[in-house]
Amino acid sequence: MSQGQASIPTQPRAKQLRACLLCSIIQTPADFRKHGCPNCEELMQMKGYPDRIQACTTTHFEGVIAVINPEESWVARWQRTSKYARGMYAVRVKGRVPEDVEAELESRNIKYRPRDGSEQD
Amino acid sequence: MSDVEDEAFMDNEEAGEEHEELEEERPKKKHSRRHEDEDEEEDDEEEDDEEDEDEDEDEDEGEQRGKKRAKHRHKRPAVNRFLDVEAEVDEDEDEEEDEDEYARDEFIADTGLEGEDDYDMVRRAADHARYDRRVREMDDRDLEQVAEDISQRYRRTAVRYTGDMSDVPQRLLMPSVHDANLWQVRVRPGKERDIVFSLMRKAIDLEFSNRPLNILSAFQRDSLPGMIYVEARSAKQVSEAINGLVGVFPSRGINLVPIEEMASLLQIKQQELTVTPGSWVRIKRGKYQGDLAQVMDVTENGEEVGLKFIPRIDLNPKDDVGLDGRKRKKAGAGLSSFNMRPPQRFFNYEEVVKVYGRKSVSKRNQVYVFQNDTYKDGFIEKDFRLTALQLDDVNPTLDEITRFTRGQDGTENETNVDLSIIAEASRKAAISVLQPGDHVEVFEGEQSGVHGTVHSIEGDVVTMEPVGVEFDGQRIQIPARSVRKRFKPGDHVKVMTGKNADETGLVVSVIDNVVTFLSDMTMQEANLREAAEVGTGTNIVGNYELHDLVQIDQQTVGVIFKTERDSFRVLDQNGQVRLVQPHQITMRRDSNRAIATDSEGHELRIGDNVKEVDGEGRKGRVLHTHQSFFAFLHNRDYAENGGVFVTRARSLASLAPKGNIMKLGNTDLSKMNPALSGGAGGMVGSGNIGRGPRDRLIGVSVMVIKGPSKGYVGTIKDTNGPHARVELLTGNKVITIDKEKLRRRNPDGSLEPLEKSFTSMGPPRSGGFGSQTPNPYSQGGRTPGWGQTGRTPNPYNDSRTPAWTASSRTPNPYADHGKTPAWDATARTPNPYNQGGKTPAWNTSARTPNPYANGGGSSTWGGATPGRGVNWDAAPTPFAAFTPGAAPTPAPFSMQTPFEYQTPAGGAYPQTPGVMAGAYGSQESQYEAPSKWLLEPEFSQKRGLVVEVRGTFGGGWHGGDFEGKQGVVLSVFDTHNESFESVARVRFFNPVDPLQPILPVPVQFLWPVHPEHREETVVILDGAQKGVEARVEAVESNNSMVVTTMDTFHVIDTSPDRLIRIHDIDEVGNRR
Repeated sequence: MSQGQASIPTQPRAKQLRACLLCSIIQTPADFRKHGCPNCEELMQMKGYPDRIQACTTTHFEGVIAVINPEESWVARWQRTSKYARGMYAVRVKGRVPEDVEAELESRNIKYRPRDGSEQD
Repeated sequence: MSDVEDEAFMDNEEAGEEHEELEEERPKKKHSRRHEDEDEEEDDEEEDDEEDEDEDEDEDEGEQRGKKRAKHRHKRPAVNRFLDVEAEVDEDEDEEEDEDEYARDEFIADTGLEGEDDYDMVRRAADHARYDRRVREMDDRDLEQVAEDISQRYRRTAVRYTGDMSDVPQRLLMPSVHDANLWQVRVRPGKERDIVFSLMRKAIDLEFSNRPLNILSAFQRDSLPGMIYVEARSAKQVSEAINGLVGVFPSRGINLVPIEEMASLLQIKQQELTVTPGSWVRIKRGKYQGDLAQVMDVTENGEEVGLKFIPRIDLNPKDDVGLDGRKRKKAGAGLSSFNMRPPQRFFNYEEVVKVYGRKSVSKRNQVYVFQNDTYKDGFIEKDFRLTALQLDDVNPTLDEITRFTRGQDGTENETNVDLSIIAEASRKAAISVLQPGDHVEVFEGEQSGVHGTVHSIEGDVVTMEPVGVEFDGQRIQIPARSVRKRFKPGDHVKVMTGKNADETGLVVSVIDNVVTFLSDMTMQEANLREAAEVGTGTNIVGNYELHDLVQIDQQTVGVIFKTERDSFRVLDQNGQVRLVQPHQITMRRDSNRAIATDSEGHELRIGDNVKEVDGEGRKGRVLHTHQSFFAFLHNRDYAENGGVFVTRARSLASLAPKGNIMKLGNTDLSKMNPALSGGAGGMVGSGNIGRGPRDRLIGVSVMVIKGPSKGYVGTIKDTNGPHARVELLTGNKVITIDKEKLRRRNPDGSLEPLEKSFTSMGPPRSGGFGSQTPNPYSQGGRTPGWGQTGRTPNPYNDSRTPAWTASSRTPNPYADHGKTPAWDATARTPNPYNQGGKTPAWNTSARTPNPYANGGGSSTWGGATPGRGVNWDAAPTPFAAFTPGAAPTPAPFSMQTPFEYQTPAGGAYPQTPGVMAGAYGSQESQYEAPSKWLLEPEFSQKRGLVVEVRGTFGGGWHGGDFEGKQGVVLSVFDTHNESFESVARVRFFNPVDPLQPILPVPVQFLWPVHPEHREETVVILDGAQKGVEARVEAVESNNSMVVTTMDTFHVIDTSPDRLIRIHDIDEVGNRR
């Protein structure tokens, strides 16, 4: 089930591009504020909350993936974004989600995988 | 209002895709919306209530904000399908009202603007029809269904995060063959991210076109500049996708990424650089570029760090604002100019105030604020983005750290010193200096005093193998900072840091931790406080070394006399000292082959100790010569230029005493003959005696005998292996040609093989005796005898026969003495001569690289030496020099050596070098009479054959007394039996015992004596005319004779080897 389309930042060079710490999607802060994270808004609840956006996203990411066909793409599968919206994703995102999100994930028995490439299994 | 109506209305809103926008425009509602979302995730089933609530709100808002919405819709006529412009009557009054109420303003607005547009009206009518249909459908569905729809719709905006992919281990996600491939595409560096974004946008744009992009994804990694990776099923899809994008270079190939490398592309991880408070960083850009800074704190997301570092405040602003407060701000701006970066200096309130005025600095608590920067304790404290900092390879120097530890007043503040900082700095320094294998000692801690070699270094722990009885093979681990290099007197060291940095020298003494060394450069003793400052010295920078001769430019060469950290000091041939970077050096020159002569005409060689005969009379050792003119000398006694100086080669004289031979005016011949002069010390002091001569072929006049240039005459200019470059006399042309195709051309026009002597020349040269083998050609060129030989075969020969001459093909010194011991030896013993003498293989053996490898050869050789010496004193006979090549069998030599002294002919022989040379020329005729040739029927019946006794050495016949004697055969007695010797009765010309001139001689010791003069009667030894008597008509050259057979008057052109003299004798052997 594809989640449709995330908004694509128009200015790829823009310094303020931010990547979601949980799903690694890259959007402008404005998009995060307007629409939240297209994949994990339910957990992150960034929509309209700039503070929350600051906490749940980061500019510290490396590598940009244009996920055009998430369902079929191996890259998306490898990045575990194949169930997510189409859009721009980061290869690596530095940092961890806020503790409340981590706790929530735990309560749902979802394994949290930081996107900083530190976990390999 | 009924639920159904509400739902319908609600749906209308949704259908118009207005819902979201409305929400956005009403900030007030955000919280409620948020609340709604939360409700949903808690309980999706209770949608209906929420919808009511939501709807009510919508309604209210609708009334309140009618105008705004009207404006909004005004731009979008499509939404007018909500409006019943035709005032259609519906049975549901409430809804009607609602609708009207809701859309009244719009209606008015719309009519005002669009009323006149008929087309619009028609379209709007269609919209209405569609709307009606939908409303009716809606009515038909049951409520539950509707509720489901709604909940579905809402779920879409806030999907429950399941993390359903998280449980799969990464390794199970590895790509398989069924996955699309990754394709590497080259792009303009720096544009990778843009292109990935462009691809995304392009994919979206073309998604519903008739040519959608078929790529699945595209990505870029910062660590892989200049390339992006596109995931697609085929390269064609990739090229279609990237077609038209700027900055993509499909021409450079769309390369498939192997499936096993796909994952690693996404796994690449930059070196994780963590910044912790207290660590050192360097500032990458700006005024403080390269400055060391200490991290104070790090922001939570790790993007910014607070740094503390030494400020660079311009205390001499350009536009002097000292007293004029108006320009202060400009002064601040002027600071940003990197060109005039002010020096690092601690913030000093008084100084700054003096320059910038009191107002510019404000003080809050302990902190000064100046130009928006905060200064504390003299340091500036400033936040930097992590990207503006260099985190790795910071390598703070001790100087920098000590500066940090100083107070703002600049005085050493001992209490302020953070020992751990120093420790870290010294630790790094220590590690960088140490290498496995270094000899170190422990100078602190429990193991203090232990010394040994470094086995390995891990981090800052050094594993060393101590030396000493008590540590038998143990290894101990020591912190790197606790060990230091150990030096002992005599070590050659180079100072790494400090006042004497880069100096090299010899360690004179080591007392505690002070190393005293004698500098190579200044010859001054210097003390080094810390042994750690000293590294084991090399004088090598780059590829160049101290005292190398280097080419600086086309005209200039020089000798490196001092190496510095990354440059050299070079003394060029003009005596100028230059500071040269390694890259400025074109090449290192090898002057080993350079030739120069000193003031006395002696060759000047590298390593010779010489002194100037004029000028300052300096002494020195020759380092290099250049262009036969300049000599670079070195003498440690001169402090200037590291003891290197340059002078003219012509003004030098050897310090070593010259041998008398040189003084006797023995001129070229002996001088050119190292074998002669070597022992006499002609080249005393030369470290390079074994140097091979230049190719003697150079300058030789030759004629081409094969190929397109056949017949041309020229001069050899250069040789290279089997090729020679020949300058032709005609056309002034230089051609490269096989040496095989060349013949030496003598002054008289006769031709000779070019390299005939080199076959036997080779071994002694390569065997290290090169200097003892004078080249026959060079000698030949100087001795008149050589050139004449070809024309006048053996004018001196009376005691010997042409046959003997031929034997000189075997380069045997003993042949020089008019006797033929080697020949007889060959006949009798299966030694190398035997084989070689008869077959061309002989030459091969002569070429064996090291004949001296044979055991005992050297002693034999020594035995032979006096003989040669005697020879050469009388006249240089070059062929004697070939002996080494032929000396593989020691035994015959040792026997022969005394013999040659016994033979009276020996003394006379040296007169005939020419013959030898001539004989040498006959090398090509390879005929040798077979052993026991005399028994062949053609000869056994002949009387008067002139023979010579050879090979009787070593317990042979009569103990060799008759060796070399010649005589005539009277009769041959063939036993036809191996066990009984066949003998011939020979009457000797000069019998040992005059009373017994006729003796039976075993036939194997008898060898033919070849003719040398015309008019001699001969018997042909070989060929069709074998056994036929003939007469020598003419002697063409030393290896060619024309004979006429006696009976048939056949004229035969043959070589003397194939002939034997025959005398017409009477019964007792007297010549008639």
